[in-house]
Amino acid sequence: MGSPAVDCRNIVKTFLQRKVPMRLLQDRILRWKIHSDRIRIEALRGVSLAARNGEWVGLFGANGSGKTTLMKIIAGIMRQDAGEVSTDGRLSCFFELGVGFHLERRADENIYLHGLLQGMCRTDIRRVTDIIIDVAGVRSHENLPLKCYSTGMRLRLAFAAASQIDADIFLFDEILAVGDTDFQKKCWWYLHALKRAGKTGVIVSHNMDDLERICDRIETMDRGVLNTGRAPSALP
Amino acid sequence: MAARRFTLVQALHVVLAVGWADFVLKYRGSVLGYCWSLIGPLVKFLVILYVFGPYVQPSIPLYPLYLFLGIIVWEHFTVTTNGCMTMLFEKEGIVQRHPFPHFLLILAVGWTNIIIFSTHLAVFAVFGWFFGVSLVWSVLYLPFIMLQMTLAALGVGMLLASYCLKYRDISHLWGIAVQILFWLTPIMYPYRAQSAVTASLIAFFRQPGIHSIQNLLSLFIHFQPIAIIINDVRRVTLYPAAAGTPTALHVAGLTLICAGMFLAGKWIFDRRCPYFTQEY
Repeated sequence: MGSPAVDCRNIVKTFLQRKVPMRLLQDRILRWKIHSDRIRIEALRGVSLAARNGEWVGLFGANGSGKTTLMKIIAGIMRQDAGEVSTDGRLSCFFELGVGFHLERRADENIYLHGLLQGMCRTDIRRVTDIIIDVAGVRSHENLPLKCYSTGMRLRLAFAAASQIDADIFLFDEILAVGDTDFQKKCWWYLHALKRAGKTGVIVSHNMDDLERICDRIETMDRGVLNTGRAPSALP
Repeated sequence: MAARRFTLVQALHVVLAVGWADFVLKYRGSVLGYCWSLIGPLVKFLVILYVFGPYVQPSIPLYPLYLFLGIIVWEHFTVTTNGCMTMLFEKEGIVQRHPFPHFLLILAVGWTNIIIFSTHLAVFAVFGWFFGVSLVWSVLYLPFIMLQMTLAALGVGMLLASYCLKYRDISHLWGIAVQILFWLTPIMYPYRAQSAVTASLIAFFRQPGIHSIQNLLSLFIHFQPIAIIINDVRRVTLYPAAAGTPTALHVAGLTLICAGMFLAGKWIFDRRCPYFTQEY
Protein backbone atom coordinates (compact mmCIF):
# COMPACT_ATOMS: atom_id res chain seq x y z
CA MET A 1 0.00 0.00 0.00
CA GLY A 2 1.39 3.41 -0.92
CA SER A 3 0.36 6.63 -2.64
CA PRO A 4 -3.15 6.84 -4.13
CA ALA A 5 -3.46 5.27 -7.55
CA VAL A 6 -6.90 6.84 -7.86
CA ASP A 7 -7.65 10.08 -6.08
CA CYS A 8 -10.98 11.89 -6.39
CA ARG A 9 -11.53 15.05 -4.35
CA ASN A 10 -14.88 16.77 -3.88
CA ILE A 11 -16.37 15.61 -7.14
CA VAL A 12 -19.59 17.38 -8.00
CA LYS A 13 -21.75 16.42 -10.94
CA THR A 14 -25.14 17.89 -11.61
CA PHE A 15 -27.42 17.07 -14.50
CA LEU A 16 -29.87 19.73 -15.66
CA GLN A 17 -32.62 17.78 -17.35
CA ARG A 18 -35.68 19.15 -19.07
CA LYS A 19 -38.96 17.95 -17.58
CA VAL A 20 -40.23 17.30 -21.10
CA PRO A 21 -37.20 15.98 -22.97
CA MET A 22 -36.16 18.01 -26.01
CA ARG A 23 -34.76 15.71 -28.66
CA LEU A 24 -35.44 17.72 -31.80
CA LEU A 25 -34.03 20.95 -33.18
CA GLN A 26 -37.53 21.90 -34.33
CA ASP A 27 -38.68 21.69 -30.68
CA ARG A 28 -35.96 24.10 -29.67
CA ILE A 29 -37.06 26.59 -32.33
CA LEU A 30 -40.82 26.12 -32.40
CA ARG A 31 -41.86 24.67 -29.04
CA TRP A 32 -39.18 25.91 -26.66
CA LYS A 33 -41.71 27.07 -24.06
CA ILE A 34 -43.05 23.55 -23.49
CA HIS A 35 -39.52 22.34 -22.91
CA SER A 36 -38.25 25.24 -20.83
CA ASP A 37 -38.82 23.70 -17.35
CA ARG A 38 -35.78 21.90 -16.03
CA ILE A 39 -35.04 19.70 -13.08
CA ARG A 40 -31.73 19.59 -11.31
CA ILE A 41 -30.31 16.16 -10.49
CA GLU A 42 -27.36 16.21 -8.16
CA ALA A 43 -25.67 12.95 -9.14
CA LEU A 44 -22.53 13.51 -7.08
CA ARG A 45 -22.35 15.87 -4.15
CA GLY A 46 -18.75 16.45 -3.17
CA VAL A 47 -17.56 12.85 -3.40
CA SER A 48 -14.00 12.07 -2.35
CA LEU A 49 -12.58 8.62 -2.96
CA ALA A 50 -9.04 7.34 -2.91
CA ALA A 51 -7.65 3.92 -3.75
CA ARG A 52 -4.04 3.32 -2.84
CA ASN A 53 -1.68 1.36 -5.03
CA GLY A 54 -2.65 -2.29 -4.82
CA GLU A 55 -5.89 -1.58 -2.97
CA TRP A 56 -9.26 -2.89 -4.15
CA VAL A 57 -12.23 -0.67 -3.37
CA GLY A 58 -15.85 -1.70 -3.81
CA LEU A 59 -18.71 0.69 -4.49
CA PHE A 60 -22.09 -0.49 -3.33
CA GLY A 61 -25.40 1.33 -3.59
CA ALA A 62 -28.88 1.42 -5.03
CA ASN A 63 -29.68 2.36 -8.62
CA GLY A 64 -29.28 6.09 -9.15
CA SER A 65 -26.92 6.55 -6.23
CA GLY A 66 -24.15 7.87 -8.51
CA LYS A 67 -21.79 4.87 -8.68
CA THR A 68 -21.54 4.66 -12.46
CA THR A 69 -21.33 8.44 -12.82
CA LEU A 70 -18.36 8.43 -10.44
CA MET A 71 -16.72 5.57 -12.35
CA LYS A 72 -17.25 7.35 -15.69
CA ILE A 73 -15.66 10.50 -14.28
CA ILE A 74 -12.66 8.51 -13.00
CA ALA A 75 -12.37 6.84 -16.43
CA GLY A 76 -12.55 10.19 -18.21
CA ILE A 77 -15.71 9.36 -20.13
CA MET A 78 -17.66 12.11 -18.37
CA ARG A 79 -16.47 15.49 -17.11
CA GLN A 80 -17.16 16.62 -13.54
CA ASP A 81 -18.58 20.08 -12.74
CA ALA A 82 -16.18 20.59 -9.82
CA GLY A 83 -13.49 18.69 -7.98
CA GLU A 84 -10.35 16.94 -9.08
CA VAL A 85 -9.55 13.44 -10.31
CA SER A 86 -6.05 12.09 -10.61
CA THR A 87 -4.84 8.64 -11.51
CA ASP A 88 -1.32 7.29 -11.21
CA GLY A 89 -0.79 4.54 -13.75
CA ARG A 90 -2.34 3.06 -16.87
CA LEU A 91 -6.07 2.73 -16.53
CA SER A 92 -8.39 0.14 -18.01
CA CYS A 93 -12.10 0.25 -17.48
CA PHE A 94 -14.86 -2.22 -18.16
CA PHE A 95 -18.35 -0.77 -18.17
CA GLU A 96 -19.35 -3.44 -20.62
CA LEU A 97 -17.60 -6.59 -21.73
CA GLY A 98 -16.56 -6.85 -25.35
CA VAL A 99 -16.33 -3.17 -26.29
CA GLY A 100 -16.01 -2.98 -30.06
CA PHE A 101 -17.17 -6.58 -30.57
CA HIS A 102 -19.36 -7.08 -33.61
CA LEU A 103 -21.61 -10.07 -34.25
CA GLU A 104 -20.53 -10.37 -37.89
CA ARG A 105 -16.83 -10.62 -37.05
CA ARG A 106 -14.85 -13.73 -36.10
CA ALA A 107 -13.24 -14.16 -32.67
CA ASP A 108 -9.72 -13.18 -33.82
CA GLU A 109 -11.03 -10.06 -35.61
CA ASN A 110 -12.97 -8.99 -32.54
CA ILE A 111 -9.99 -9.64 -30.27
CA TYR A 112 -7.78 -7.56 -32.57
CA LEU A 113 -10.08 -4.53 -32.60
CA HIS A 114 -10.82 -4.85 -28.88
CA GLY A 115 -7.09 -4.88 -28.15
CA LEU A 116 -6.44 -1.84 -30.36
CA LEU A 117 -9.21 0.12 -28.66
CA GLN A 118 -7.71 -0.81 -25.29
CA GLY A 119 -4.39 0.65 -26.41
CA MET A 120 -2.52 -2.63 -27.01
CA CYS A 121 0.05 -2.87 -29.80
CA ARG A 122 -0.41 -5.29 -32.70
CA THR A 123 2.39 -7.62 -31.62
CA ASP A 124 0.90 -8.01 -28.15
CA ILE A 125 -2.56 -8.65 -29.57
CA ARG A 126 -1.26 -11.38 -31.89
CA ARG A 127 0.61 -12.93 -28.95
CA VAL A 128 -2.49 -13.19 -26.76
CA THR A 129 -5.11 -14.07 -29.41
CA ASP A 130 -4.69 -17.84 -29.08
CA ILE A 131 -4.56 -17.61 -25.29
CA ILE A 132 -7.86 -15.69 -25.25
CA ILE A 133 -9.56 -18.18 -27.57
CA ASP A 134 -8.38 -21.11 -25.42
CA VAL A 135 -9.25 -19.47 -22.09
CA ALA A 136 -12.73 -18.64 -23.40
CA GLY A 137 -13.11 -22.20 -24.70
CA VAL A 138 -14.33 -21.14 -28.13
CA ARG A 139 -11.69 -22.90 -30.26
CA SER A 140 -14.37 -24.95 -32.00
CA HIS A 141 -16.04 -21.74 -33.25
CA GLU A 142 -12.97 -19.67 -34.05
CA ASN A 143 -13.71 -19.44 -37.77
CA LEU A 144 -17.34 -18.49 -37.30
CA PRO A 145 -18.76 -15.00 -36.80
CA LEU A 146 -19.80 -14.08 -33.27
CA LYS A 147 -23.47 -14.35 -34.19
CA CYS A 148 -22.99 -18.14 -34.27
CA TYR A 149 -21.86 -18.20 -30.61
CA SER A 150 -24.12 -18.78 -27.65
CA THR A 151 -24.56 -15.90 -25.19
CA GLY A 152 -22.32 -17.67 -22.70
CA MET A 153 -19.58 -18.14 -25.29
CA ARG A 154 -19.69 -14.45 -26.21
CA LEU A 155 -19.44 -13.43 -22.56
CA ARG A 156 -16.56 -15.80 -21.99
CA LEU A 157 -14.71 -14.49 -25.02
CA ALA A 158 -15.29 -10.91 -23.92
CA PHE A 159 -14.08 -11.58 -20.38
CA ALA A 160 -11.07 -13.52 -21.64
CA ALA A 161 -10.19 -10.59 -23.94
CA ALA A 162 -10.57 -8.16 -21.04
CA SER A 163 -8.34 -10.30 -18.85
CA GLN A 164 -5.37 -9.84 -21.21
CA ILE A 165 -5.36 -6.06 -20.95
CA ASP A 166 -2.27 -4.85 -19.19
CA ALA A 167 -2.90 -1.87 -16.90
CA ASP A 168 -2.18 -0.63 -13.39
CA ILE A 169 -5.68 0.43 -12.42
CA PHE A 170 -8.83 -1.51 -13.28
CA LEU A 171 -12.39 -0.19 -13.10
CA PHE A 172 -15.16 -2.80 -13.24
CA ASP A 173 -18.79 -1.72 -13.40
CA GLU A 174 -21.27 -4.57 -12.81
CA ILE A 175 -19.43 -7.08 -14.96
CA LEU A 176 -18.34 -9.57 -12.31
CA ALA A 177 -18.80 -13.31 -12.56
CA VAL A 178 -20.24 -13.92 -15.99
CA GLY A 179 -21.03 -17.26 -17.62
CA ASP A 180 -21.41 -20.69 -16.02
CA THR A 181 -19.94 -21.91 -12.73
CA ASP A 182 -16.67 -23.10 -14.23
CA PHE A 183 -16.08 -19.86 -16.02
CA GLN A 184 -17.02 -17.84 -12.94
CA LYS A 185 -14.23 -19.68 -11.11
CA LYS A 186 -11.82 -18.57 -13.84
CA CYS A 187 -13.07 -14.99 -13.48
CA TRP A 188 -12.50 -14.97 -9.76
CA TRP A 189 -9.10 -16.55 -10.19
CA TYR A 190 -8.24 -13.79 -12.69
CA LEU A 191 -9.41 -10.99 -10.36
CA HIS A 192 -7.45 -12.42 -7.43
CA ALA A 193 -4.41 -12.80 -9.71
CA LEU A 194 -4.66 -9.11 -10.57
CA LYS A 195 -4.86 -8.28 -6.90
CA ARG A 196 -1.88 -10.46 -6.07
CA ALA A 197 0.07 -8.76 -8.86
CA GLY A 198 -0.39 -5.46 -7.03
CA LYS A 199 -2.87 -3.92 -9.44
CA THR A 200 -5.41 -1.42 -8.14
CA GLY A 201 -9.14 -1.99 -8.61
CA VAL A 202 -12.39 -0.12 -8.16
CA ILE A 203 -15.46 -2.34 -8.51
CA VAL A 204 -19.11 -1.42 -8.68
CA SER A 205 -21.65 -4.11 -7.88
CA HIS A 206 -25.13 -4.63 -6.51
CA ASN A 207 -23.95 -7.86 -4.98
CA MET A 208 -22.32 -7.33 -1.58
CA ASP A 209 -21.06 -10.94 -1.50
CA ASP A 210 -19.06 -10.36 -4.68
CA LEU A 211 -17.53 -7.18 -3.28
CA GLU A 212 -16.68 -8.81 0.05
CA ARG A 213 -14.90 -11.58 -1.80
CA ILE A 214 -12.27 -9.34 -3.39
CA CYS A 215 -12.34 -5.82 -1.92
CA ASP A 216 -10.17 -4.46 0.88
CA ARG A 217 -12.67 -1.72 1.54
CA ILE A 218 -16.28 -1.16 0.52
CA GLU A 219 -17.83 2.28 0.18
CA THR A 220 -21.58 2.69 0.06
CA MET A 221 -23.16 5.41 -2.02
CA ASP A 222 -26.53 6.98 -1.41
CA ARG A 223 -28.03 9.78 -3.51
CA GLY A 224 -24.70 11.17 -4.63
CA VAL A 225 -22.98 10.98 -1.26
CA LEU A 226 -20.24 8.53 -0.32
CA ASN A 227 -20.35 7.00 3.15
CA THR A 228 -17.03 6.42 4.83
CA GLY A 229 -15.38 3.18 3.90
CA ARG A 230 -15.54 0.11 6.07
CA ALA A 231 -13.74 -3.18 5.89
CA PRO A 232 -16.00 -5.85 4.36
CA SER A 233 -16.34 -7.71 7.68
CA ALA A 234 -17.65 -4.58 9.44
CA LEU A 235 -20.56 -4.13 7.05
CA PRO A 236 -24.03 -5.22 8.21
CA MET B 1 -9.45 13.39 -18.16
CA ALA B 2 -7.95 10.03 -17.25
CA ALA B 3 -8.51 8.31 -20.61
CA ARG B 4 -5.74 6.05 -21.82
CA ARG B 5 -3.31 8.02 -23.96
CA PHE B 6 -2.73 6.80 -27.52
CA THR B 7 0.58 7.37 -29.26
CA LEU B 8 0.47 8.62 -32.84
CA VAL B 9 1.36 5.14 -34.14
CA GLN B 10 -1.33 3.47 -32.00
CA ALA B 11 -3.88 6.06 -33.14
CA LEU B 12 -2.93 5.41 -36.77
CA HIS B 13 -3.34 1.65 -36.26
CA VAL B 14 -6.77 2.19 -34.71
CA VAL B 15 -7.93 4.43 -37.57
CA LEU B 16 -6.66 2.09 -40.29
CA ALA B 17 -7.94 -1.08 -38.59
CA VAL B 18 -11.38 0.26 -37.63
CA GLY B 19 -11.84 1.92 -41.04
CA TRP B 20 -10.84 -1.22 -42.95
CA ALA B 21 -12.90 -3.48 -40.65
CA ASP B 22 -15.95 -1.25 -41.23
CA PHE B 23 -15.39 -1.39 -44.99
CA VAL B 24 -15.16 -5.20 -44.94
CA LEU B 25 -18.07 -5.52 -42.54
CA LYS B 26 -20.30 -3.30 -44.65
CA TYR B 27 -20.55 -5.94 -47.37
CA ARG B 28 -19.99 -9.16 -45.40
CA GLY B 29 -22.84 -11.63 -45.64
CA SER B 30 -24.39 -9.77 -48.56
CA VAL B 31 -24.79 -11.61 -51.87
CA LEU B 32 -24.03 -8.54 -53.97
CA GLY B 33 -21.30 -7.48 -51.55
CA TYR B 34 -19.29 -4.46 -52.65
CA CYS B 35 -21.58 -3.92 -55.65
CA TRP B 36 -24.07 -2.24 -53.34
CA SER B 37 -21.77 0.74 -52.88
CA LEU B 38 -21.54 1.10 -56.65
CA ILE B 39 -25.19 0.54 -57.47
CA GLY B 40 -26.36 3.79 -55.80
CA PRO B 41 -24.13 6.20 -57.76
CA LEU B 42 -24.48 4.09 -60.91
CA VAL B 43 -28.29 4.24 -60.88
CA LYS B 44 -28.20 7.99 -60.22
CA PHE B 45 -25.72 8.36 -63.08
CA LEU B 46 -27.86 6.39 -65.54
CA VAL B 47 -31.08 8.21 -64.64
CA ILE B 48 -29.51 11.67 -64.96
CA LEU B 49 -27.66 10.70 -68.14
CA TYR B 50 -30.79 9.52 -69.91
CA VAL B 51 -33.25 12.10 -68.52
CA PHE B 52 -31.16 15.29 -68.47
CA GLY B 53 -28.23 14.25 -70.65
CA PRO B 54 -29.80 15.17 -74.01
CA TYR B 55 -30.22 18.80 -72.82
CA VAL B 56 -26.72 19.26 -71.41
CA GLN B 57 -24.59 16.79 -73.36
CA PRO B 58 -23.97 18.97 -76.47
CA SER B 59 -22.24 21.70 -74.43
CA ILE B 60 -19.98 19.37 -72.39
CA PRO B 61 -17.37 17.11 -74.01
CA LEU B 62 -17.17 13.58 -72.58
CA TYR B 63 -20.42 14.25 -70.70
CA PRO B 64 -20.94 10.67 -69.34
CA LEU B 65 -17.50 10.80 -67.70
CA TYR B 66 -18.08 14.39 -66.55
CA LEU B 67 -21.32 13.31 -64.89
CA PHE B 68 -20.01 10.07 -63.36
CA LEU B 69 -17.01 11.84 -61.83
CA GLY B 70 -19.24 14.55 -60.36
CA ILE B 71 -21.57 11.94 -58.88
CA ILE B 72 -18.85 9.82 -57.23
CA VAL B 73 -17.21 12.89 -55.64
CA TRP B 74 -20.61 14.07 -54.44
CA GLU B 75 -21.40 10.58 -53.08
CA HIS B 76 -18.12 10.61 -51.17
CA PHE B 77 -19.09 13.92 -49.56
CA THR B 78 -22.62 12.85 -48.58
CA VAL B 79 -21.69 9.33 -47.44
CA THR B 80 -18.83 10.68 -45.32
CA THR B 81 -20.95 13.38 -43.65
CA ASN B 82 -23.74 10.86 -42.96
CA GLY B 83 -21.18 8.30 -41.77
CA CYS B 84 -19.89 10.73 -39.13
CA MET B 85 -23.41 10.97 -37.72
CA THR B 86 -24.31 7.28 -37.85
CA MET B 87 -20.94 6.38 -36.33
CA LEU B 88 -22.13 7.74 -32.97
CA PHE B 89 -25.09 5.37 -33.04
CA GLU B 90 -23.32 2.33 -34.51
CA LYS B 91 -20.45 2.59 -32.03
CA GLU B 92 -22.56 3.56 -29.03
CA GLY B 93 -20.80 1.00 -26.82
CA ILE B 94 -17.43 2.60 -27.45
CA VAL B 95 -18.64 6.19 -27.15
CA GLN B 96 -20.62 5.59 -23.95
CA ARG B 97 -18.49 3.12 -22.08
CA HIS B 98 -14.92 3.39 -23.22
CA PRO B 99 -12.44 6.21 -22.52
CA PHE B 100 -11.29 6.65 -26.05
CA PRO B 101 -10.53 9.65 -28.30
CA HIS B 102 -13.75 9.69 -30.32
CA PHE B 103 -12.06 11.80 -32.94
CA LEU B 104 -10.27 8.63 -34.11
CA LEU B 105 -13.64 7.10 -34.98
CA ILE B 106 -14.34 10.10 -37.21
CA LEU B 107 -11.02 9.60 -38.96
CA ALA B 108 -11.92 5.91 -39.40
CA VAL B 109 -15.12 6.99 -41.17
CA GLY B 110 -12.98 9.14 -43.47
CA TRP B 111 -10.64 6.20 -44.17
CA THR B 112 -13.52 3.81 -44.96
CA ASN B 113 -14.94 6.27 -47.45
CA ILE B 114 -11.56 6.97 -49.04
CA ILE B 115 -11.31 3.21 -49.73
CA ILE B 116 -14.79 3.21 -51.29
CA PHE B 117 -14.04 6.36 -53.30
CA SER B 118 -10.80 4.80 -54.58
CA THR B 119 -12.76 1.82 -55.90
CA HIS B 120 -15.24 4.20 -57.58
CA LEU B 121 -12.28 6.00 -59.11
CA ALA B 122 -11.01 2.68 -60.47
CA VAL B 123 -14.42 2.12 -62.12
CA PHE B 124 -14.16 5.64 -63.55
CA ALA B 125 -10.72 4.76 -64.95
CA VAL B 126 -12.25 1.77 -66.75
CA PHE B 127 -14.98 4.03 -68.18
CA GLY B 128 -12.28 6.52 -69.20
CA TRP B 129 -10.31 3.82 -71.02
CA PHE B 130 -13.52 2.76 -72.77
CA PHE B 131 -14.12 6.37 -73.93
CA GLY B 132 -10.50 6.71 -75.06
CA VAL B 133 -9.33 9.14 -72.39
CA SER B 134 -5.60 8.79 -71.87
CA LEU B 135 -3.89 9.31 -68.54
CA VAL B 136 -1.61 12.35 -68.27
CA TRP B 137 0.73 13.49 -65.50
CA SER B 138 -1.93 15.84 -64.10
CA VAL B 139 -3.64 12.87 -62.38
CA LEU B 140 -0.86 13.19 -59.81
CA TYR B 141 -2.99 16.01 -58.41
CA LEU B 142 -5.64 13.47 -57.41
CA PRO B 143 -4.21 12.61 -53.95
CA PHE B 144 -4.26 16.33 -53.03
CA ILE B 145 -7.83 16.65 -54.23
CA MET B 146 -8.84 13.51 -52.31
CA LEU B 147 -7.25 15.03 -49.21
CA GLN B 148 -9.17 18.27 -49.75
CA MET B 149 -12.52 16.53 -50.24
CA THR B 150 -12.00 14.30 -47.20
CA LEU B 151 -11.00 17.23 -44.99
CA ALA B 152 -14.04 19.22 -46.11
CA ALA B 153 -16.42 16.26 -45.68
CA LEU B 154 -15.06 15.35 -42.24
CA GLY B 155 -15.24 18.99 -41.14
CA VAL B 156 -18.93 19.20 -42.03
CA GLY B 157 -19.46 15.65 -40.69
CA MET B 158 -17.96 16.52 -37.29
CA LEU B 159 -20.13 19.63 -37.04
CA LEU B 160 -23.23 17.51 -37.72
CA ALA B 161 -22.08 14.68 -35.43
CA SER B 162 -21.53 17.17 -32.61
CA TYR B 163 -25.24 17.91 -32.42
CA CYS B 164 -26.93 14.84 -33.92
CA LEU B 165 -27.27 13.14 -30.52
CA LYS B 166 -28.71 16.23 -28.87
CA TYR B 167 -31.10 16.95 -31.73
CA ARG B 168 -32.20 13.72 -33.40
CA ASP B 169 -33.72 15.50 -36.41
CA ILE B 170 -30.35 16.85 -37.56
CA SER B 171 -29.89 13.81 -39.82
CA HIS B 172 -33.31 14.43 -41.45
CA LEU B 173 -32.56 18.12 -41.92
CA TRP B 174 -29.19 17.26 -43.40
CA GLY B 175 -30.92 14.86 -45.80
CA ILE B 176 -32.99 17.79 -47.10
CA ALA B 177 -29.96 20.09 -47.20
CA VAL B 178 -28.07 17.48 -49.24
CA GLN B 179 -30.91 17.36 -51.78
CA ILE B 180 -30.77 21.14 -52.16
CA LEU B 181 -26.97 21.18 -52.29
CA PHE B 182 -27.00 18.51 -55.00
CA TRP B 183 -28.80 20.89 -57.34
CA LEU B 184 -26.63 23.82 -56.22
CA THR B 185 -23.47 21.98 -57.21
CA PRO B 186 -22.38 21.70 -60.86
CA ILE B 187 -22.65 17.90 -61.02
CA MET B 188 -24.90 17.47 -64.03
CA TYR B 189 -24.64 20.96 -65.53
CA PRO B 190 -21.54 22.89 -66.62
CA TYR B 191 -19.25 24.74 -64.25
CA ARG B 192 -18.86 28.13 -65.87
CA ALA B 193 -15.89 29.72 -64.11
CA GLN B 194 -13.37 29.74 -66.94
CA SER B 195 -10.51 31.72 -65.42
CA ALA B 196 -8.76 31.24 -62.07
CA VAL B 197 -11.11 31.03 -59.09
CA THR B 198 -9.87 34.20 -57.39
CA ALA B 199 -10.01 36.20 -60.63
CA SER B 200 -13.53 34.92 -61.27
CA LEU B 201 -14.53 35.87 -57.77
CA ILE B 202 -13.21 39.45 -58.17
CA ALA B 203 -14.93 39.76 -61.54
CA PHE B 204 -18.12 38.46 -59.99
CA PHE B 205 -18.19 41.17 -57.30
CA ARG B 206 -17.52 43.92 -59.87
CA GLN B 207 -20.55 43.11 -61.96
CA PRO B 208 -23.71 45.21 -61.54
CA GLY B 209 -26.73 43.82 -59.70
CA ILE B 210 -24.58 41.62 -57.50
CA HIS B 211 -27.14 41.36 -54.71
CA SER B 212 -29.91 39.73 -56.72
CA ILE B 213 -30.87 36.24 -55.52
CA GLN B 214 -29.90 34.74 -58.86
CA ASN B 215 -26.42 36.23 -58.59
CA LEU B 216 -25.98 35.09 -55.02
CA LEU B 217 -27.02 31.57 -55.99
CA SER B 218 -24.59 31.68 -58.87
CA LEU B 219 -21.88 32.84 -56.46
CA PHE B 220 -22.62 29.90 -54.17
CA ILE B 221 -22.79 27.38 -57.02
CA HIS B 222 -19.40 28.32 -58.41
CA PHE B 223 -17.37 29.15 -55.34
CA GLN B 224 -18.47 26.65 -52.71
CA PRO B 225 -15.59 24.26 -51.91
CA ILE B 226 -17.30 21.07 -53.16
CA ALA B 227 -18.04 22.67 -56.54
CA ILE B 228 -14.42 23.79 -56.88
CA ILE B 229 -13.17 20.34 -55.84
CA ILE B 230 -15.41 18.59 -58.38
CA ASN B 231 -14.26 21.01 -61.06
CA ASP B 232 -10.61 20.38 -60.15
CA VAL B 233 -11.05 16.59 -60.38
CA ARG B 234 -12.52 17.01 -63.84
CA ARG B 235 -9.76 19.40 -64.90
CA VAL B 236 -6.96 16.98 -63.96
CA THR B 237 -8.58 13.84 -65.34
CA LEU B 238 -10.76 14.84 -68.30
CA TYR B 239 -9.69 18.25 -69.58
CA PRO B 240 -6.07 18.90 -68.58
CA ALA B 241 -5.26 20.49 -71.95
CA ALA B 242 -8.42 22.56 -72.39
CA ALA B 243 -9.07 23.72 -68.81
CA GLY B 244 -5.50 23.66 -67.52
CA THR B 245 -4.29 22.02 -64.34
CA PRO B 246 -4.76 23.82 -61.01
CA THR B 247 -1.86 26.04 -60.02
CA ALA B 248 0.15 25.33 -56.86
CA LEU B 249 -1.36 28.47 -55.32
CA HIS B 250 -4.87 27.25 -56.12
CA VAL B 251 -4.19 23.81 -54.58
CA ALA B 252 -2.58 25.36 -51.47
CA GLY B 253 -5.41 27.88 -51.04
CA LEU B 254 -8.15 25.28 -51.39
CA THR B 255 -6.32 22.88 -49.06
CA LEU B 256 -6.15 25.67 -46.48
CA ILE B 257 -9.89 26.32 -46.79
CA CYS B 258 -10.66 22.59 -46.43
CA ALA B 259 -8.24 22.30 -43.50
CA GLY B 260 -10.01 25.29 -41.94
CA MET B 261 -13.36 23.49 -42.31
CA PHE B 262 -11.82 20.37 -40.76
CA LEU B 263 -10.29 22.23 -37.80
CA ALA B 264 -13.49 24.18 -37.15
CA GLY B 265 -15.43 20.90 -37.14
CA LYS B 266 -12.88 19.25 -34.86
CA TRP B 267 -12.94 22.19 -32.43
CA ILE B 268 -16.73 21.95 -32.09
CA PHE B 269 -16.64 18.14 -31.92
CA ASP B 270 -14.00 18.14 -29.16
CA ARG B 271 -16.04 20.63 -27.12
CA ARG B 272 -19.19 18.52 -27.47
CA CYS B 273 -17.57 15.09 -26.87
CA PRO B 274 -17.86 15.10 -23.04
CA TYR B 275 -21.64 15.52 -23.33
CA PHE B 276 -22.25 12.62 -25.75
CA THR B 277 -22.61 10.01 -23.02
CA GLN B 278 -25.45 12.06 -21.44
CA GLU B 279 -27.28 12.52 -24.71
CA TYR B 280 -27.98 8.90 -25.66
